[in-house]
Amino acid sequence: DQATSKKVITRDEWEKKLNAVKLRKEDMNTLVMNFLVTEGFVEAADKFQRESGTKPEIDLATITDRMAVKKAVQNGNVEDAIEKVNDLNPEILDTNPELFFHLQQQRLIELIRQGKTEEALEFAQEELAPRGEENQAFLQELEKTVALLVFEDASNCPVKDLLDISHRLKTASEVNAAILTSQSHEKDPKLPSLLKMLIWAQNQLDEKAVYPHINDLSTGQLQNPSE
Amino acid sequence: MPTTTSSSSFSSAASSSGNRQADVFSRLASSDPEVKLKALREVKNQIIGNRTKKLSFLKLGAVPAIASALSDSECNSILVQSAAALGSFACGFEAGVQAVLDAGVFPRLLRLLTSSDEKVVDAGARSLRMIFQSNQAPKYDFLQEKNMEFLFSLLNSENENVSGLGASIIAHACGTTVEQQVLCEAGVLEKLVILLDGSLSQREACLESLATVLKNNPEAVSRFVGLEAGRYLSSVTELTKDRYPRTRLLSCLCLVVIYNTSPSYFLNMGTKSSLVTTLLELLNDPGQSGDEAALGLSSLIAEKEDLQKLAYEANAIKNIVDILKTGSELHPKRLQGLFLSLAELCSKLEDCRCSFLSLEMLDLLVNALRHNNADVRTAACICFRNAARSVKNLSAGRFTNDHVMLPLVQLLHDPSSSVQVAVLGALSNIVLDFSSPKSTFIEYGGIKQLIELSKSMDPNARCSALRALRNLMFLADNKRKELFYSEVKAQGFVSLISDPEPTVQEQGLALLRNLVDGCINSIEFVFDEEGLILDTVGRQLRKSPQAQMAIQGMYVLTNVASGTELHKEAVMQQLFPQPQAESNNFMLKFLQSHESQLRSATVWTIINLISPSSPGALDRHVKLREEGIIPQLKNMVNDSCLDVKVHKRS
Repeated sequence: DQATSKKVITRDEWEKKLNAVKLRKEDMNTLVMNFLVTEGFVEAADKFQRESGTKPEIDLATITDRMAVKKAVQNGNVEDAIEKVNDLNPEILDTNPELFFHLQQQRLIELIRQGKTEEALEFAQEELAPRGEENQAFLQELEKTVALLVFEDASNCPVKDLLDISHRLKTASEVNAAILTSQSHEKDPKLPSLLKMLIWAQNQLDEKAVYPHINDLSTGQLQNPSE
Repeated sequence: MPTTTSSSSFSSAASSSGNRQADVFSRLASSDPEVKLKALREVKNQIIGNRTKKLSFLKLGAVPAIASALSDSECNSILVQSAAALGSFACGFEAGVQAVLDAGVFPRLLRLLTSSDEKVVDAGARSLRMIFQSNQAPKYDFLQEKNMEFLFSLLNSENENVSGLGASIIAHACGTTVEQQVLCEAGVLEKLVILLDGSLSQREACLESLATVLKNNPEAVSRFVGLEAGRYLSSVTELTKDRYPRTRLLSCLCLVVIYNTSPSYFLNMGTKSSLVTTLLELLNDPGQSGDEAALGLSSLIAEKEDLQKLAYEANAIKNIVDILKTGSELHPKRLQGLFLSLAELCSKLEDCRCSFLSLEMLDLLVNALRHNNADVRTAACICFRNAARSVKNLSAGRFTNDHVMLPLVQLLHDPSSSVQVAVLGALSNIVLDFSSPKSTFIEYGGIKQLIELSKSMDPNARCSALRALRNLMFLADNKRKELFYSEVKAQGFVSLISDPEPTVQEQGLALLRNLVDGCINSIEFVFDEEGLILDTVGRQLRKSPQAQMAIQGMYVLTNVASGTELHKEAVMQQLFPQPQAESNNFMLKFLQSHESQLRSATVWTIINLISPSSPGALDRHVKLREEGIIPQLKNMVNDSCLDVKVHKRS
């Protein structure tokens, strides 16, 4: 049932073609370092630097600071995270109204999660409402968040997704990206883009040829076309 | 768990937060450094990102308190926290900048830059940069030797925040050509371009300052392009494709400045085209970049038909209209930029005008006339003016209905003179609609208001008002002219045509030309109060006026000379007054002018004077021959201007 117009490449031929492609060790090391640094694996990055001689693209000390912020958000300690960001670079929150709003929003969510309703109400009025006044674009999200306060059982209401841990991770990721940008570092590691490129290229080639695929990215194993 | 809230808990929330603020404020003044430091940190963390808190702490008097903490301390942590707090007050918040400057702490912040502690330097540099981004920043005297030295020491610094500060000072404080020259000669361009290869914030600071130094200065541009054989111009061009929108924007704005100053560096159509499309894409950015992109686009395509065409073909009109129609509150700067861009697109291209008007934009445009920002109102008026150049749409009555006319006429009373001038421009074009039998404009008392504005302190307003009146009186019937005469008598009119500004005089004479055109009764106006107006016109023509004024003046005489015998004799009086001590025969001069319209107008006058149907024609012919006028006419048989030839023949 395979289209006979497609070129067929055997495993042998394919492996020969692959071996003809030259890669530099330094490039691969750089990719690894980029991944470790962007994701914030400080100790690993430090060890990798010492073992391979690869220079990290930014000062590892700044990674530690950044990771402290990310961790604080992931643990729900938003106020602490805000203080740390401001120590690192006071301009970040002063020039990123959307990020600041999301951090305040997360603070409110944590207060609600802890059952501190009075404090939550006060916080919503004092801190969150002005954000909506300053910037109309936030009103919709603001209303959604405040809706949490209205329901007796917040964990079963229409906007319960906000209470999900994934929302913390989303906020943490946002603040991580903002810090990276302020340090002129790209916020995404290169590795995922390369893998996406691989999958796309395979899809393109599928229209023209039959050849061994990499189907499992985590192992990178070649699989014969018929398998 | 309570599900309802009572109003009392809300008011207690407000007062308890107020109490907390008052509490931390009092701790700022503590003599215990530990307590003070903690309070400073608290205030800083409360105000960062929070405009509302900045305002309330400002009202409490926090800024002077923090300024004292900064000035009185040598402890690095206190310096860092107070500088950071002051910087935050100044960040994008004009009242905050004002308060920081008023507190007199600016020199202290400058001294922080020489600290041995890197964090102190950072904090100081950041705060100063915030201050320099505001219009209220202290003037920086680039012409002083020590100031230049200081500036260059900043640019040379390894510290990113400090070099960024140097660039920021240039970007916001450099204003005059002299300052640009002084900076270039001191080698600032060479220093700035190094920042292009630096970090993101350095690149952006560099692009902003380059634009300021190069603006309208061809010598500076040529120096910049000459650096390493055009390498940096290419770098800036490359940056228009950068991943960060703000970098794309700033590099585009830099290129716009270079293009407007020295277009010869942009012969490549491809670069022009991609500059237009990049700016168009940036229009969609919701933040500050989008605001500035709109103004940048209008500046780029202004007066350049080829770029307007490029933009039109890139779907600019539809894109801009879509943005305007989104309904969300757009920043006034963005609105101004978008309307100005539309105005530029419609300035010369009929396709653009028709396209624009077909998109149901008039309501939006009319609403903009009522916007509370004067720049937006002005831009909307200019948009109307240019759209009304479309004869097709004008005569379809698009602009002359109440819905459009009423708000426009109301703007004649606008407190801002730039709005007045702009709406006069729009009305001048709209009143040219001859197809409408009655004019809404006149019904709304437009003539009276135009006359008012013809006496404005602003010469542009006077000129525009007279132009509008001139257009209104073109081929007007007596009834309409009466409306004018009821308000302006001969004496008043004489002051209009004797205005100190030549452009205003020209429009006044053009208005007069239209007033005396038509039936014979129209001519009587120039004879009111013993020929006051005619005398004034004659006097001005004898005074060697500019060509444009002379043209209008001669057409006035042409029209008067088309009347009765008395009228023709009166014109002869003006042409050749007694005694003839002055051999200043301006008629001869006009007949020899380079301006074909002037020659034509003069010939017309002569034709009307010697037309055989009137009794005194022969005498006048003799007189004209004596003055050398007729011989001159004979020389003009083959005048390059066909108009003149034809008249001469008759």
